[in-house]
Amino acid sequence: MGTEKIIFYIFAFIVVFGATMVISVRNPVKAALYLVLTFFASAAIWLLLEAEFLAIVLVLVYVGAVMVLFVFVVMMLDINVARLKEGFIRYLPLGIGVAVLMAVMMIMVVGPEYFGLDKIAAPERHGADYNNIREIGGILYTVYVYPFEIAAVILLVAIVAAIVLTLRRRPNTRQQRPEEQIAVKRGERVRMVKMSAEERK
Amino acid sequence: MINFQLPDFSPALPEMFLLGMTCIVLIVDLFLNDRTRLVTYFLAQVALLGTLMITLNTVSLDVQTTFSGVFIRDPMSDVLKIAVYTAAFVTFLYAKDYLRDRGILKGEFYVLGLFGVLGMMVLISAHNFLTVYLGLELLSLSMYAMVALQRDSAVASEAAMKYFILGAIASGMLLYGMSIIYGITGSLDLSEMAAQISTQKSHILMAFGLVFMIVGIAFKLGAVPFHMWLPDVYHGAPTAVTLYIASAPKIAAFAMLMRLLIDGLYGMHEQWQGILIILAVLSMGVGNILAIAQTNIKRMLAYSTISHVGFLILGALTGTQNGFAASMFYTLSYVLMALGGFGMIILMSRKGFEADKLEDYKGLNQRSPWYALMMLILMFSMAGVPPFLGFWAKLAVLEEVVAAGHVWLAIVGVIFSIIGAFYYIRVVKLMYFDKADVSEPLSSSLDMRLMISLNSLAVLFLGIFPSGMLNMCLLSVPG
Amino acid sequence: MIALSDVLILAAILFCLSVAGIFINRKNVIILLMAVELMLLAVNMNFIAFSYFLGDIAGQVFVFFIMTVAAAEAAIGLAILVVLFRNKRTINVDDLDSMKG
Repeated sequence: MGTEKIIFYIFAFIVVFGATMVISVRNPVKAALYLVLTFFASAAIWLLLEAEFLAIVLVLVYVGAVMVLFVFVVMMLDINVARLKEGFIRYLPLGIGVAVLMAVMMIMVVGPEYFGLDKIAAPERHGADYNNIREIGGILYTVYVYPFEIAAVILLVAIVAAIVLTLRRRPNTRQQRPEEQIAVKRGERVRMVKMSAEERK
Repeated sequence: MINFQLPDFSPALPEMFLLGMTCIVLIVDLFLNDRTRLVTYFLAQVALLGTLMITLNTVSLDVQTTFSGVFIRDPMSDVLKIAVYTAAFVTFLYAKDYLRDRGILKGEFYVLGLFGVLGMMVLISAHNFLTVYLGLELLSLSMYAMVALQRDSAVASEAAMKYFILGAIASGMLLYGMSIIYGITGSLDLSEMAAQISTQKSHILMAFGLVFMIVGIAFKLGAVPFHMWLPDVYHGAPTAVTLYIASAPKIAAFAMLMRLLIDGLYGMHEQWQGILIILAVLSMGVGNILAIAQTNIKRMLAYSTISHVGFLILGALTGTQNGFAASMFYTLSYVLMALGGFGMIILMSRKGFEADKLEDYKGLNQRSPWYALMMLILMFSMAGVPPFLGFWAKLAVLEEVVAAGHVWLAIVGVIFSIIGAFYYIRVVKLMYFDKADVSEPLSSSLDMRLMISLNSLAVLFLGIFPSGMLNMCLLSVPG
Repeated sequence: MIALSDVLILAAILFCLSVAGIFINRKNVIILLMAVELMLLAVNMNFIAFSYFLGDIAGQVFVFFIMTVAAAEAAIGLAILVVLFRNKRTINVDDLDSMKG
């Protein structure tokens, strides 16, 4: 067994372990952290498959942004973890049953019988001068320019949707409005009152 | 370096115009307050009309592909897109007063609605797995957000959450299937894929990927047994959003079915036909039978949607050009009827009263004979009573099913249609033979009244002269 | 040498774990959303494996788009979750039963 294969198996084990923990721990924060572990190990496997750019994007975008968003929301919502534990055991046999059945069928199909090394040989490794980012960029901005634009629109929809769903201006909270602070005139802040001088008692 | 030529942008002119207009609507809306919000509405309608004009002006009978083959423009895409604009236009018109009365007339409804329309256009013109997926997601993400738009409503947010989770799982399934098929054919392009499939013998792996893809498609269409989200979403969403979800996206879902199964995987017709038969029979059965038990008219129409989806699939599974045309005719007819049906619920409702219970329709004939008649036309058409449009749509599909040699399927379809007729006719009975609890006349704006009358009369008119629309479908469907 | 089947089996296991997670977690919507992320990771793993063994970069481009969309999806999903929590003070899946029929 070559080193490559050993590295693959180590990281594959971490991926499976992490994924199992994500679905079985009860505390959402722990689940999120296990998901981070899974993503890291997956990124390592992607590096083995010469998808360097995507491996980095997985860490930067997924771990760096999406998972932080998850943890942020978990922290923001005050969730009663004790109640969330109920019923876990009840659905466990069903869940495991379905998963094992599916796994057996899927592995039979995608296993070595059709996709082994003797069927599809591993390609030659690229040399040190190969640049994965250049390859992706070359095709992304030419052949796939239309999907690229649509992806931009999807991100715009996400921005609009997230803001319209969660932005609230509560009437009773205090907040700073810089534009009003700047635009203020003297007359709005200082009121000159004319009154006659009072006599000292 | 890759030899790159600037693509021909002209076939995608409608998409580009709509995207530009939507961004303008988004920005203009920032400067409006709740009193001047109607400007957003008018701009959105102008955007749709402009896109319609551009599409009509550039319509052609040729098949053009551009952007390195990820985008296709054929007669079918033009017809479906025009139907989408029309449906969205009517939806926006019906929705305006409803949203205003409930304090959710926000610019975002129109912005998200227009982005949804753009997603449907991308999906309709998709010629690559990538564009199918991105169009689908653009549409779905807009719809998830629209369902939750009524932020203080518990049922709406619950419906949005269910819709989102099930929709995301469906996307995951679809993608898994796509990844397997990509791995075997080595291409994301639908034409190349079709060429690959025709040369190599289809084996178990292709069927494996196909199953996952069909699960994804069935989820999005709302076919049994992947229909769980549909009644809750129709019920929980504000009626205006239900109207949006129930109408134009069905056209896009039909387009997705056509693009993936016919443009891409037609070589595997034998495999997918078997699965579609199961989906169609279950959808017609479950949809029609569960609809009888409903007391909420939005839920009832949701189950009726499921049964109509069954019919739509029935036409597509024949695998013949006439069958696809019948399925397309059915989709367009259904969208017209759904617009009218949900439009009537909006017409009946007012501030603080949703009119979503069946008993709210008691004695409508005494309150307003004209709208009772309109509702009668819509219900009879959905039930498939001649001479309304729904009858011809059902007939066209059944004829093609028989022509393709599935006589028993046609019989099953007829039986379930007869069962289904019961609950539509129950609405008619409530309107005409029961006494009204309230006697006040309906109040709604003039444009709404005109449009809903036009909508119902179109169902009647197209029912009397169905051949034009049917021929259009026959001409535009790819062979 | 890694075989294509090794990666595909890993992706299949990941996919099944995410399906199991969806079945088991009837109590916590957030973990359901994480299970969906796992499912997309399995799909991405498939695409990258095929892309490497076919020598076709298009598979990687597809993964790029899946990740973009998944980020947008997560943002909208969590926004809906926040709205839901404000309305119902719960994110328990079993409590999402106000509509019946």
